[in-house]
Amino acid sequence: MNHPEVWILAAAAVFGIALYGLIVARDVLRQVIALKVMGSAVFLVLVAAAGPIDGAPDAIPLALVLTGIVIAVSASAFALTLLVRLAEATGSTSLDDGDGGGDGR
Amino acid sequence: MSALEWLAAALMAGGAFFYLAGTVGLLRFPDAPTRLHALTKADNVGLLLICAALALLAGSLRQALLLLLIWLLALLAATVSAHLIARHAIGDRDAAGDREA
Amino acid sequence: MDLAVDTLLALALVVLAGQSLVGGALFRAIVMFMVFGLTLALAWARLGSPDLAMAEAAIGAGVTGALLLVAHWRLQRLRGTPAPEAAPAASRARARLAAAVALLSAALVAALGLAAVQAVGPGGIAGQALAEALPATGLGNPITGVLVVFRNLDTVLEVAVLLAAYVASRAVLGDADAALPPAQDAPLADALVAVVAPLTVVVGLYLLKAGGQSPGGAFQGGAVLAACGVLLVLSGRLRAAPAGATLRLALVAGTVAFGAVGLGMLALGHPLLALPGTWAVYLIETAMLVSIAVTLALLFAGSAGLAGGRR
Repeated sequence: MNHPEVWILAAAAVFGIALYGLIVARDVLRQVIALKVMGSAVFLVLVAAAGPIDGAPDAIPLALVLTGIVIAVSASAFALTLLVRLAEATGSTSLDDGDGGGDGR
Repeated sequence: MSALEWLAAALMAGGAFFYLAGTVGLLRFPDAPTRLHALTKADNVGLLLICAALALLAGSLRQALLLLLIWLLALLAATVSAHLIARHAIGDRDAAGDREA
Repeated sequence: MDLAVDTLLALALVVLAGQSLVGGALFRAIVMFMVFGLTLALAWARLGSPDLAMAEAAIGAGVTGALLLVAHWRLQRLRGTPAPEAAPAASRARARLAAAVALLSAALVAALGLAAVQAVGPGGIAGQALAEALPATGLGNPITGVLVVFRNLDTVLEVAVLLAAYVASRAVLGDADAALPPAQDAPLADALVAVVAPLTVVVGLYLLKAGGQSPGGAFQGGAVLAACGVLLVLSGRLRAAPAGATLRLALVAGTVAFGAVGLGMLALGHPLLALPGTWAVYLIETAMLVSIAVTLALLFAGSAGLAGGRR
């Protein structure tokens, strides 16, 4: 892992793209995808910034990221269940009220 | 590099070429069944060449056999997925044809 | 040479993230997200962690992809028509705001990350202590050591979160089960399941056993078994059913085993969650494997339980 800067910059770009997608998306499914991608970018920063110990990668950030991956999938599963229920109840898959410049409630 | 490593490099280059051919087919062919045809054939042979190259470089017979198993499983998965996708695509096309008729 | 490979992978990640987020059909976005997950697994391998690579491929790309696809299918079924081809465009003001926020946040993340790279240097104190304390636990895989022995409070809570997701999903769905796609009746699909399901079980159990000494562990094994469960559900060999006693036991096994061992140690006068030996590690990992596999498969199926049955 000799050049973590490459990964850091890529993760920052992915985070920015995902945040843009999160704000711009109308459909909740796209927002779930955006949140997951943001999470993955953060994990990438965490692991890339970790220094090696005696040549082997530092295990503690790796374990934290593994925990994070499982928690992300749990949260996504629940969010998707809520989404399907929302569609059943209201007939729409969007949480927007309308095109009010993004802050209509 | 030793002769073995040269041979492995040649096999890997061949595998990469087959993958390239498969991707060209994916991009150039007009519809789903023809694209599947290009992908499954070219990609499976490409994977075989790459697995063969890695088996040559592997440390033990066990690793080489595991690589062969990986190729067989990938072959199985690719076959069934291609079959299911083609069924779906041809089913759509037939349904559209029935609607027009 | 290393730098070239890393740069190519990193670029691929950025491009795939863009493909999965902005515009295009929803189905395409989901598939691009799965490809992003697999490329991220390659990135984890490049960063020196096969454990994370396996976990990302199995959980991040595999299980999450299946969850997204089945949710998409359910939404389409409710809508009655195929999803619109492209996302409706957001207003200009919103897009401009989003772009500004995105650029600022990307800059912030880059600054934080690069500062961390400068500051951390070769290895932290906790990592050194871990390397010294690991042989005493009898484990060869430092990540398993951290997860089950050294920072196991995080892992207990993580398994509890998985259980909570299942309980919350049941609460939202009520007595109803979520719809499932009709079983595939293609003959090749039957053959695939007949060959792959036993192999998947072997791989899952091997990952559990190997996780003590080499890359692997309960999470990777559990995700592989959950994938087998998804395959069985999709081919009709498992169908939605009320949750039986065995299934409920399987769901809580991970949390209960871990919590019981941890609290038991406290009752015996040791620190909370101080494990009595390597056998405890394997016991807990096995219980977690069962819980993770069952919970993820049930979260996919959207039902209270699963029962065998030919369609």
